[in-house]
Amino acid sequence: MNMSELATGLQWFFMLYFIGINCGYLLLNVLSLGSLKRYVESHSLDDLPRSVSGFEPPVSVLVPAYNEETTIGSSVRSMLQLNYPDYEVVVINDGSKDGTMDALRREFALAPFPEAYWQRLPAQPVRAIYRSTSHPSLRVIDKENGGKADALNAGINAARYPLFCGVDADSVLERDSLKRVVEPFLEDPRTIASGGTVRIANGCTVDNGFLTSVGLPRNPLALLQIVEYLRAFLFGRLGWSPLNAVLIISGAFGIFRKDVVVAAGGYRRDTVGEDMELVVRLHRVHRTRRIPYRIVFVPDPICWTEAPESLRVLKNQRVRWQRGLSESLTMNLGLLFHPRGGAAGWLAFPFMVVFEWLGPLIEVAGYMFMISAFLLGVVSGEAFFTFMLVAFGFGLVLSVSSLLLEELSFHIYPKPQQIVVLLLMVILENFGYRQLNSLWRLWGLLLWMFRSKARWGDMKRTASWQTGPGGKGTP
Amino acid sequence: MPDRADTLWWLPHDPLLALVFQFGLAIIACSLLMLVAVFVLRIRLVLRQRREKRFAAAWQPLLAECVYQVPETLPQVPRAMRYHFMKLWNYHHESLVGSARKNLEQLAYALKLEEISRDLLHHSDLRSKLIAIVTLGHLGDRTQWHELRALVADPSPMLSLAAVRALLDIDAGATLTWLVTVMAAREDWPLARIVAMLREAGPGRVTLPLIAAAEAAAQVEVKGDTRQIVRLLRMMEVAHTERIGTIVGRIVRAATDPEVIAAGLRLIQDPRDLELVRCHLAHETWFVRVSAVRVLGRIGESADRVVLTDMLGDRHWWVRYHAARALIALPFTSFAELEIIRARLPDRFAADMLGQAIAEARAA
Repeated sequence: MNMSELATGLQWFFMLYFIGINCGYLLLNVLSLGSLKRYVESHSLDDLPRSVSGFEPPVSVLVPAYNEETTIGSSVRSMLQLNYPDYEVVVINDGSKDGTMDALRREFALAPFPEAYWQRLPAQPVRAIYRSTSHPSLRVIDKENGGKADALNAGINAARYPLFCGVDADSVLERDSLKRVVEPFLEDPRTIASGGTVRIANGCTVDNGFLTSVGLPRNPLALLQIVEYLRAFLFGRLGWSPLNAVLIISGAFGIFRKDVVVAAGGYRRDTVGEDMELVVRLHRVHRTRRIPYRIVFVPDPICWTEAPESLRVLKNQRVRWQRGLSESLTMNLGLLFHPRGGAAGWLAFPFMVVFEWLGPLIEVAGYMFMISAFLLGVVSGEAFFTFMLVAFGFGLVLSVSSLLLEELSFHIYPKPQQIVVLLLMVILENFGYRQLNSLWRLWGLLLWMFRSKARWGDMKRTASWQTGPGGKGTP
Repeated sequence: MPDRADTLWWLPHDPLLALVFQFGLAIIACSLLMLVAVFVLRIRLVLRQRREKRFAAAWQPLLAECVYQVPETLPQVPRAMRYHFMKLWNYHHESLVGSARKNLEQLAYALKLEEISRDLLHHSDLRSKLIAIVTLGHLGDRTQWHELRALVADPSPMLSLAAVRALLDIDAGATLTWLVTVMAAREDWPLARIVAMLREAGPGRVTLPLIAAAEAAAQVEVKGDTRQIVRLLRMMEVAHTERIGTIVGRIVRAATDPEVIAAGLRLIQDPRDLELVRCHLAHETWFVRVSAVRVLGRIGESADRVVLTDMLGDRHWWVRYHAARALIALPFTSFAELEIIRARLPDRFAADMLGQAIAEARAA
């Protein structure tokens, strides 16, 4: 094979890979469209007063916190005001070095409580357990630092109720969030986990822990992430849900059956992607042992979170996510093409491996090869521009379609000008942002390969969108 | 006229590459179409919201007037606003009670809402079907009884449960006689929703059908199928407790399945059944022991203090926890006595558990 043949072969490999990955996403998009239509129709009468059942199972809301003194007060306050008949909030202070514990003591009148702590899952030692004297449903576990998974395990150990919901300490929940995400457990007793849609809070107004108006941020990076989140949640996850093949439930907001998670060994403490790893493991355990189960995704926008506004923090986040993905997949390789793997093992897992896990490597290599080969004259201008056209075209179609799904269902952004801005972002993200993301993800993949140590995410919260106590003012 | 080669100058010469290029162009054209669709949808949304706002502003006062009387003159409901009006009407119907509801129903008949609902009932669109079913239920329209009864067998839980609710609204007594067994059998119907509907129907209406269904299912349980009986026992939580005691006692005595025993124990309220409860305190399944201990917390006697103190040393955390709570709930047990019991406990885990329960009781 001579140089020219090799270049042509590579050119077609990359071109077909780009077409393949994007056709896969388009297929997911079509599946999501059907799911979304059914979901919206079947919930069309939810706002009638009588649809409230009042028989929902009690839930333990677990809030792991590490150096969250800026936002912990308002987050916990919002969680204490959820519209749900029976729930408790358990904050797990994972050995914070800042004033997180003091903020909690001050805001919620904590008093030490003699609790018979049941260590079912491995976790670092608990220093003390507190109960709020002003809010009886709030408990705080103060423990030695051990990471987010360790904190969640400690929370599960202390949880009283059959369902637990892991929530990031910086997240803002909709008042009805628990009700909506618990619904799959009511509808089907085989449900073991359910995740909700996470949206970006930058640019919105949050008052006393509740979202009072939806807006767009001024920061272009945050704006680009809004489109990205729409794509990730509205079809990246919803598309897999009817096939019972959702492999990711965001750590920012997900609900699980406690007995099932305890039986599976809880969160693994040696990964940065503990949320995804748990879900993939649950699939593997249930599939291989032939236990009927369902893992569901709820498309309602129910949880709002702060997106990074600087390149450095965004890069760290994406690197961490890619490492988490790598760990989750390699720790559960037994699911891949397992004879009883079903859609999770035969479709979602291979899709993740080829397009999400190894994707950045092939994408970056593809871009680099095509650009350098074009500049060196190994690949023709026609081939190069065709490649770019396909890459850009698919990027555009996927982003616009997620915006279309949003417009067909929830229309969260109320002003027409906001839609115009988002459409602009849909176009702009194809010129640099996506490619930069691929580079960061490739870096994450390399870091995972060289096994560097896992830590809590070190994102600096600004909480600039929060007003009221604990916030820093309006945007 | 330019020849073909001139007009297609922009296409790659390689036919495969040209195909991919055209594919890319088609994808971009598709994106642009979707982009336009987003705009069109948004414009439609804004216009629809305005229309609905105007419509609600005209109809809200008329529907509110139904609290006192049926308005004399009623405007027409345009075909495009039918669904919106039905939602508005149902919202008011579910929010009001007594004569106000009757007035709303009169208003609905004046607007031929029952005819519209019958029409929508045969629509293929799920949204229209659901609103039609709910409206027919609220109107108590018996003319569609058979259609609604047929819908109970629909494989979609959403549709079938809406039909169940409508039938209960129309005639709960007649419906429950045959529906309770269906409710126990349809495992795709969420138990929480079923229990909520039965609670709405009231214990007076549900108790006898539940007892009859439990009698029949108890025979099946002997043959090994316990799922229906467990569902029925959970449904019986909304029945008159004093009337279900006999059948529940019989089921628990005959049962071997832990799920059935635990569900049955939850329903025991009569102190005469205490012996039956006590004999399950040593059951090998932890959640049966939890159920038994919880019953002792409700109806136990001072004499149960010894056995509950022993249960504080159970190997399962939840049994220990509920034993501690039951101990506190026993009659004539003071905190001082509980502290003495705690101090005498040789097992640290048992002492810690009782300490937690005492602290919880004090905090409450």
